[in-house]
Amino acid sequence: MAVKPIVVYPDPILKQVCAPVQAIDDEIKELIEDLVDTMHAGPGSVGVAAPQIGVSRRVCVIDVSKNRHGKDNNHGLLLMINPEILAKSGGAVMREGCMSVPDYTGDVERATELTLRFTEPDGNVREFEASGFEAVAIQHEMDHLDGFLFLDRIASLKTGLFRRKSYK
Amino acid sequence: MNLCRKPNLAHFAVTIIGKDRTGIVADTSEVLYKLGCNVEDSSCTMLGGEFAMILIVSHEKPFSKKKLEEEFAAKTTGTGLSAFVRTLKDDEVCYQGPEGELCLISVYGSDKPGIVYRVTRELADRGVSITDLNTKLIGKPTEPVYVLVLEAALPQGLSVEDASALLENLKKELSVEISVRLITPVSL
Repeated sequence: MAVKPIVVYPDPILKQVCAPVQAIDDEIKELIEDLVDTMHAGPGSVGVAAPQIGVSRRVCVIDVSKNRHGKDNNHGLLLMINPEILAKSGGAVMREGCMSVPDYTGDVERATELTLRFTEPDGNVREFEASGFEAVAIQHEMDHLDGFLFLDRIASLKTGLFRRKSYK
Repeated sequence: MNLCRKPNLAHFAVTIIGKDRTGIVADTSEVLYKLGCNVEDSSCTMLGGEFAMILIVSHEKPFSKKKLEEEFAAKTTGTGLSAFVRTLKDDEVCYQGPEGELCLISVYGSDKPGIVYRVTRELADRGVSITDLNTKLIGKPTEPVYVLVLEAALPQGLSVEDASALLENLKKELSVEISVRLITPVSL
């Protein structure tokens, strides 16, 4: 549909808890298409959440299949409405970037295994297990739905925040 | 770490700062090594375009502060580096670790004057002791974002929830995000 401009912090929408989707109507389907287009247009982007394009709803899209960290372990393009984490385990620190906090990356510890439930655009409720980089990406995007940025997760400014070198 | 003074050692605090270039640490440690000083604790980092070093050094007595100053002066003259040496008293050498819960407080929001002052004053007034603090300016030049991350020891009787509530009003006053997390190490 359209590549939307990315909302950058300190825009207050990024700190809001997004509203759940009650009905999957044309507006939500259009939102998902916009999110996918915006993700594909973003340099190296593996996910976009609705508040990042200015919509405070619990919707995000993820696709780590083209990323070197995720190409061997992924579920392809995930279109997630009202996602919920049912269980999480494991832990690893990865250096994350975010289009809403340009020019910086941060070391964040996240679970490496997730059990997840979400609704797909056709209304089907899906449950599955994600691991590795895909699990990290899902948690990052789901954080956006609760008003969290990676800045909320870093443990040290000296050792945890870095000027971004590239988007690849 | 528990650093306690041995009666045969003299301790000094050395502060060195100057425009960053390759070799500042090597030059500094060379002076200390050749004098027979031991670096007991140090923190060295980039601040803007400056490289800053703070070191606690010791040397067997007798040893004078003047000797350190002279050697640093000889090494730093014409380099743009400035060095400052202070003799430490007995009660400045023994490190007393914080007794209360350790927490990590992160603050970020649109840059404005007073973020560090208001947050740290609020904490100081309640007896919270800051053990580590770093700030960074990020974001776009047109919309700079100030990030402050500090570690602090809470006094007895003040919980993480109390500390969080203490800073709640500042969120609105300064239009910043503030989070308080417990980081007290656990023995496993």
